Amino acid sequence: MLTRELAIVAYENGQAIPDRLNQQQHAGYRELAAQMLEVYRGGIGQMRRSMHRDIHAIFRRETDCPPRRIDAFCKLLDDASEFAGIPSNQASKLRMQVFRRAAGLHPLVTQADRWFENQEQDAKSRIAAELGENWSSIEQRLFGDLIEFHRLEKFNDFASPAALLSRYNVAQTQVALFDAQRMTVLATEDFKSILRYAKLARLMHTVHREPPGRYRFDFDGPSSLLHRTHRYGVAMAKFLPGLLSCRGWQLWALLHPARWQGSITLSLSANSGLTSPVPTSNEFDSDVEAAFATKWGAEPHEGWTLERETEILHAGQKVFVPDFVLRHQDGRRVLMEVIGYWTPEYLRSKLETLEVFRQHAILLAVAQSNKQHFEGQSPAVLFYKTAIKIDDVVAMVKTMSVGP
Amino acid sequence: MTHHSLEFSDGTILLKGWRKGSIDKVFLDNLWTWDSRIAAWRCDASRYAEIISRWQLAEGQEGHGLYLENRVPHWTAIHWPKIELPTLRDEQHQSVAAWLDKLRGVVVMPTGTGKTEVALRIMVETKCPTLIVSPVRDLMYQWHRRILRGLGYDAGIIGDNTFNIRPVSVTTYDSASIHMPTLGNRFELLIFDECHHLPGRIRSDAARMSIATKRLGLTATPERSDGRHQDLERLIGPIVYSLSIAQVRGRSLADYDIVRIPVHLSDREQSLYDQLSRNVSQYVYARRQDAPTFTWKDLCADSAVDPESRRALNAFRKKQAIENRATEKLRVLEDLFRLHQGSPMIIFVGSNAMARDVSQRFLIPCLLSHCGKKERLDYLEGLSDHTYPAIVANQVLDEGVDLPAVKVAVVIGGMVSKKQAKQRLGRILRRQDNQRAVLYEVVCQDTTESERSRQRRDNDAYTGTRHRRL
Repeated sequence: MLTRELAIVAYENGQAIPDRLNQQQHAGYRELAAQMLEVYRGGIGQMRRSMHRDIHAIFRRETDCPPRRIDAFCKLLDDASEFAGIPSNQASKLRMQVFRRAAGLHPLVTQADRWFENQEQDAKSRIAAELGENWSSIEQRLFGDLIEFHRLEKFNDFASPAALLSRYNVAQTQVALFDAQRMTVLATEDFKSILRYAKLARLMHTVHREPPGRYRFDFDGPSSLLHRTHRYGVAMAKFLPGLLSCRGWQLWALLHPARWQGSITLSLSANSGLTSPVPTSNEFDSDVEAAFATKWGAEPHEGWTLERETEILHAGQKVFVPDFVLRHQDGRRVLMEVIGYWTPEYLRSKLETLEVFRQHAILLAVAQSNKQHFEGQSPAVLFYKTAIKIDDVVAMVKTMSVGP
Repeated sequence: MTHHSLEFSDGTILLKGWRKGSIDKVFLDNLWTWDSRIAAWRCDASRYAEIISRWQLAEGQEGHGLYLENRVPHWTAIHWPKIELPTLRDEQHQSVAAWLDKLRGVVVMPTGTGKTEVALRIMVETKCPTLIVSPVRDLMYQWHRRILRGLGYDAGIIGDNTFNIRPVSVTTYDSASIHMPTLGNRFELLIFDECHHLPGRIRSDAARMSIATKRLGLTATPERSDGRHQDLERLIGPIVYSLSIAQVRGRSLADYDIVRIPVHLSDREQSLYDQLSRNVSQYVYARRQDAPTFTWKDLCADSAVDPESRRALNAFRKKQAIENRATEKLRVLEDLFRLHQGSPMIIFVGSNAMARDVSQRFLIPCLLSHCGKKERLDYLEGLSDHTYPAIVANQVLDEGVDLPAVKVAVVIGGMVSKKQAKQRLGRILRRQDNQRAVLYEVVCQDTTESERSRQRRDNDAYTGTRHRRL
């Protein structure tokens, strides 16, 4: 991620517009990005400071580029790199040795005279000789532990110049969110992933149902309701790449930038053209679910249709998005959760979650191998060997008499 | 029965199992906010003292039928292994007494008048879990050493990649504001060193997210240019004691001279400087032709889209770099080293690059933020025991770091700020053998830096500046 100092964002008509490079206005940037990648690919063994100079040099003739943008590229390239310096204890030992020896010669003067006889260059050579080296080699290492003097060891290359540019675009949007106080996401799909990414980013949520088939999530943090705070802005920025890998969402973030009167909105959607560095998650958690959904198809079976992850159960900060919802024409509804081959820890937390939402009609499809954990758990358990059978499911839901 | 409890949660306090009616009976309006996300009442941790006093009042009355289990504080009593503190001077005694009378408040004392001893004495009196918050790592370690030396207690360290919480701990403002959601119920006394650093959008969470009922702020300069010092009263408490630099001049502090040394740029630097100045002013002039209100801020904003203004901005930055690094300053420094050979010197510079230049030119230690604990200690102690003749520092040393008794300091470059000026002076003003201290200020003649120097001297600490050409 970028740091606040590298943010470029315009505020226009109450909207925040983070810096964004696009193919029309910034056609030349693909070539610049290619050159930047070349600097880092060929930069093994180079000092960070000199690589940054090389990056700046690439932009020398580029008229359309604020200095911050160049620094932001340096940061993103550095983030994909591994640098190493002289271990700081070595450099600090060298410094103390040199300074202690020089102390007796202080002050090192430009020209020796009667009172001050230690000429700078002579003194330095003498100190170097005492340490069994020449001065230039000492001078090179004297501050070798400082990060600007670190040398590149490894560069985890970007897939393409375009990938670097899209990383930049995402990064500028993320850093704009540092000033966010709260964030609202309106979603039509991928509820489970969105809420999971928010939880990973340690955000608190409020879930609102917005028919038809939509949910609104408000994200903020514990003290947000007491103060206007952007304390959780970094968490919102961390949440963004995950959100970008999801489908069917719109986002509004309320920003309160420092030295800015009034508030600003940042809006974004799944179609905004930002590419997530996180791969899009599979539509299904397992092959068993995928196979079952395909087999069921779009048509109803004995009046029951199958929907995937369309309902959210929530109690406080606990959320459960069942894999399927079975809906009958007459309005009956049964939730269905598939529990395949998992670790004991996963099963334990799953059982806890189910306990919280026990008042709902939930049909569990459990792999035979997990049978012992679920025996006597709930009347609505269906064990399967390799695939879930439609007839078994229909037979089960018919016995679960649940009103609309 | 539902649980009726008071809990600490992420820098806030939660009240669970109470109805609105019960809350109104016990607490004042607006203390609690209903949090529907978790179905509980929530308020800032900093209001803990208020909550407890209201509850105690209600508990004393009969027949309300209310119950509350307080699970908030994780406090333990503190026993100091030893107490070996220097005898306090009168003004230190007065400040301790003034604070103990209120248990929440700010003590204003100039640098070098022993704020640390005041705080340690207060810790001896309060004997409670304490967190000391300081602006930089150096100061954090310094507090750790002082507590160990004076009270025999090995305090926990939170910050600098260490997370070792003990009932008495030291930390920095940044770490405190990040970690207070988990630390907020561990400490009964908060000590904010150089507390003018506390107001700030996130930093103030270091005070707001703590339940500490006792709070001490220490500073030489409570005022902030952004006016936010008013927040200190809310976050810590009122000013309970104030001592100005003029009051102690010549008593606790040594008398001092300020000598201003104008230097000239080399011909090459001067001509480059002039060229750059012309570039900047030509550009600004041209822009003002069509936009009379064009300002520096506009230039910065325009530099994003306009290559012309970017060049002007770059020219300005180069100009600044020349001011900071002029070789002439190194020559002046050489003269000052000759002049004061034998007395330890501290050189303050305006940038890390300049600090390294000075360090490499004269082979004197440079104290930058990268220095490890051991190296820093070696330099600081080395300066006081004359192992090293001088040290050079950028911002790290600007505040509060205990320096050995230095009689000569040099300021090279650096931006003007009333606060910085006072603090830098504080460094060299330690009383020692009634010797007068001297502060040299080396500024480029004919550059905007001499303008800044004039501004800097607009400050009571600087009255009586002498000018000298070497």
